[in-house]
Amino acid sequence: MSKNTLKICIGTPCHLMGAADLMESVENLNHKLREKIELKTSHCIDNCCEKAPVAEFNGKVYQDLNPEKLDKIIRENIK
Amino acid sequence: MDLVFEEFYRSIPKGGEEVCGDNVEIIKKNKKTIVVLSDGLGSGIKANILSTLTSKIASGLLEKELPLKEILSTILATLPVCEVRGIAYATLAFLIIDQKHQLRLIEIDSPSAFLFRNNQVQKLNYREFELEGKKIREANFKFQRSDQLFLVSDGVTHAGIGGLLNFGLGWDGVAKEIERTVRRNQADLKYNINKLVKVFNTFYGDQAGDDFTIIGMKYRKKRKVNIWSGPPLKAEDDSLLAEKISEAEGKKIICGGTTAQIAARELNKKLEVGLKYYDKDIPPTSQMEGFDLLTEGLLTLNRVLSLLKKYKPGQIPAAGKDGASRFTRLLLESDSVRFLVGRAVNESHQSLNLPINLGIRSQIISQIAEQLRRIKKKVEIEWF
Repeated sequence: MSKNTLKICIGTPCHLMGAADLMESVENLNHKLREKIELKTSHCIDNCCEKAPVAEFNGKVYQDLNPEKLDKIIRENIK
Repeated sequence: MDLVFEEFYRSIPKGGEEVCGDNVEIIKKNKKTIVVLSDGLGSGIKANILSTLTSKIASGLLEKELPLKEILSTILATLPVCEVRGIAYATLAFLIIDQKHQLRLIEIDSPSAFLFRNNQVQKLNYREFELEGKKIREANFKFQRSDQLFLVSDGVTHAGIGGLLNFGLGWDGVAKEIERTVRRNQADLKYNINKLVKVFNTFYGDQAGDDFTIIGMKYRKKRKVNIWSGPPLKAEDDSLLAEKISEAEGKKIICGGTTAQIAARELNKKLEVGLKYYDKDIPPTSQMEGFDLLTEGLLTLNRVLSLLKKYKPGQIPAAGKDGASRFTRLLLESDSVRFLVGRAVNESHQSLNLPINLGIRSQIISQIAEQLRRIKKKVEIEWF
């Protein structure tokens, strides 16, 4: 059972700003980390499109992400 | 019951060639359909030019309803002469079918057509005569609801030469393959054409010894598709639009993430957002009960537009699994298309500073509608 939920926004602005790279980086996480995370997508998170791409990890919204930032967030906050 | 005449074709170039020496032209006008197939002498670009000229001239003149003699003499006078062989030559087959289902088929040096009727393939009854020094076969008959007609270039009847067979399949061999394939699946013409191309290619050992083309034709019921894209200007129209799309007849598409969220809210249905990227440039599609397809908005619409611009009537649409390819297929498979377009400006897109032609939904949809009209689809747009 995965305890952590990661929601990535795939709305047009987030997609253009690199949501696909975020998804790919999650899929490439090492197996032990990956299986603790339930990956979801959304059409919009929190209406903060000007700070795309946006993701929500365990209920907290993070903006202006890139794969490195997301990796750090996951490692620091994973349960 | 409303019927439409549908036709699909595939052309395969000779192994090692970039272009196919066969050419197909399909014209729909005043409820008439004109299909022209021409096979140029030899293969490669020279053959392609010969067959393109022949079929373009023929279809253009047929559209203006000129007599056969005129068409033939124009073609013979126009074709460039091959340097090597000293002749100018392309075969020609064309048919015209009117709204009363009466079909007229003319063949000049191309293999006889294959008529699939009552579960078997039969040869047509031809009348033969000579015109401008050419032997011409003509068939006139009433095309029935469950009939299917196949036209091929001689690359098909020769399938197997240089491959699995010594002398090729011949007319009877091809008839047997068509019979076998169509019997199994009478409804899906596109699938059958793809399957037959695979069969003939296999006889050639996957290296076609000549250009080959197969065209299939049949009647089918009319299909409708409805598309809702974009939130309406007035928020109180949300429920009206949701109701309109959910009660519409035919297939249903929602295009746009925000639009999908509105639909889910108004119809009280669960929206499942997809994860899978089939194409990196096109965001994943979503799912909702009662809808055939839910896609992202602007990027998908732009890709749909560029796919439609490249489309030539009768071609089998691209087989991609991404949202835009699926969207395009649904449009091409339908005969009437109804757009419900919301014109609210999406605030989030303003921050992106998109190029102006990419950013305006109403413009893209108007262009898509224009492309659909070009290939004779009935298009309706309602603005909100």
